[in-house]
Amino acid sequence: MKHDLERIEIPGESEARGRSWIVLEVAFGEREPVERRRKMLRPVIAVAVAAALLAAILSPPGRAVLDGLRETVGIERAQPALFSLPAPGRLLVASDAGVWIVQEDGAKRLLGRYREASWSPFGRFVVAAGANELAALEPDGDVRWTLARPGVRSPRWTGTETDTRIAYVDRTGLRVVAGDGTGDRLVVAGYRGPFAWRPGKGFVLAHSDRPGRVSLYDVAAGKVIERSAGGRVDAGEPATIRRRGQGSEVVVGRRVVFRSAGQLDRPTASPDGRWLLVPWPAADQWVFVRTNGTGLRAAANVAEQFRSRSFPRVEAWCCGS
Amino acid sequence: MRACRDERARVRGAQRGSVSDLEALFRMHWPRAFRAAYLVTHDAAAAEDIAQESFLAAIRALDRFDRGRPFGPWLHRIAVNRAIDWTRARALRGEVELLDTVSAPPQPGSDDDTLAALARLSPEHRAVIVMRYLLEFTPGEIADALDLPRGTVNSRLRRGLDALGDEL
Repeated sequence: MKHDLERIEIPGESEARGRSWIVLEVAFGEREPVERRRKMLRPVIAVAVAAALLAAILSPPGRAVLDGLRETVGIERAQPALFSLPAPGRLLVASDAGVWIVQEDGAKRLLGRYREASWSPFGRFVVAAGANELAALEPDGDVRWTLARPGVRSPRWTGTETDTRIAYVDRTGLRVVAGDGTGDRLVVAGYRGPFAWRPGKGFVLAHSDRPGRVSLYDVAAGKVIERSAGGRVDAGEPATIRRRGQGSEVVVGRRVVFRSAGQLDRPTASPDGRWLLVPWPAADQWVFVRTNGTGLRAAANVAEQFRSRSFPRVEAWCCGS
Repeated sequence: MRACRDERARVRGAQRGSVSDLEALFRMHWPRAFRAAYLVTHDAAAAEDIAQESFLAAIRALDRFDRGRPFGPWLHRIAVNRAIDWTRARALRGEVELLDTVSAPPQPGSDDDTLAALARLSPEHRAVIVMRYLLEFTPGEIADALDLPRGTVNSRLRRGLDALGDEL
């Protein structure tokens, strides 16, 4: 049986391995290695944890410790559902069931069985990626156009009121299509790594085809116009997540605006920049944090609300309703 | 034993930021993660995504990884669970499978027979077959990885093998 399973030929295995290695190498280059604790500290930590638990059980002041432990399962005062968003705008969310739009009043609409999505520049349309399809949709779910392509992922829409482009990757590489679905073409063959549109005029794609190197591809000119020896593709994060042991901190500028006892995911900023949506997968919660650190809200049971076994992913928070 | 020591050294190196150690781990374990995902999903693009995402998850968790545990089974467990999730999600979406290429009719005893016979099993049965016979997990390890009772794993193995035997 082992022999039978090992000799089955898989189409495109070698190419898949090459593409995956590029993506992993880039991702690995962007991580920050953490110095491991020395082994001799472990018994000290174990004793400290045991002492803290004992204190929690035996003494009233120890309740604070218990409260701290409870934080590992999220914010206790979280609302049981997402009743509303704390700021104007609409969310795009991807779950096992598909891609959803969430309105400011908490109303949710399932757009379809797509894996990923992003907004058009002014939030009038959504571009979504299915297994083998790129689709442009209206926010009410009406399909404007579709493009059948193998293994579509990471669609990103950019442009002005009158001229837009969508970049995405499929099994052939990094591709660009006009906002009306015409002129689809391959711009970087075999590339499946991270990319971002450069803000400002024109249609310039930044991608990292080698660890530590960023190339800028001008779509109109049809060529790479710049290569930098250092740097990385960064879509511009509104806040950073800093690991603290088992916990995390959300940092805006140099200010810590939220601390948790568990691991948090990448935050998404509201369109007005006043709130951050911080996903907390282990607690099955979304935590909304004011960027100035003065407010906090949380919604629980996130996965269930989006009919998902895995924790839903926030794709974007865009524009007024 | 030597392979285990080598793997531990590679994990230690990768934790310190060594790309060559990560590449060694990739060479050691990506092919099986990809193959396992493919045998469960029967979709090469999905298998590529799943193997890649599993490695990305492993990279993200690398600093917390206990070097006393073997890396490969940890990675393969992530890949198989993701493959099962993907297959269930596809079934919910009601997608029609798109074949990459138009292939010749399968010859008796060919690879295609094995693949076709596997395809007729449920994803849950495929997963235990793949974990047992490709990844060489013990039934106890499969039960642990898939969060199933040991008896369920044994019965799925038996039924899966019976069905494959009938087909082949």
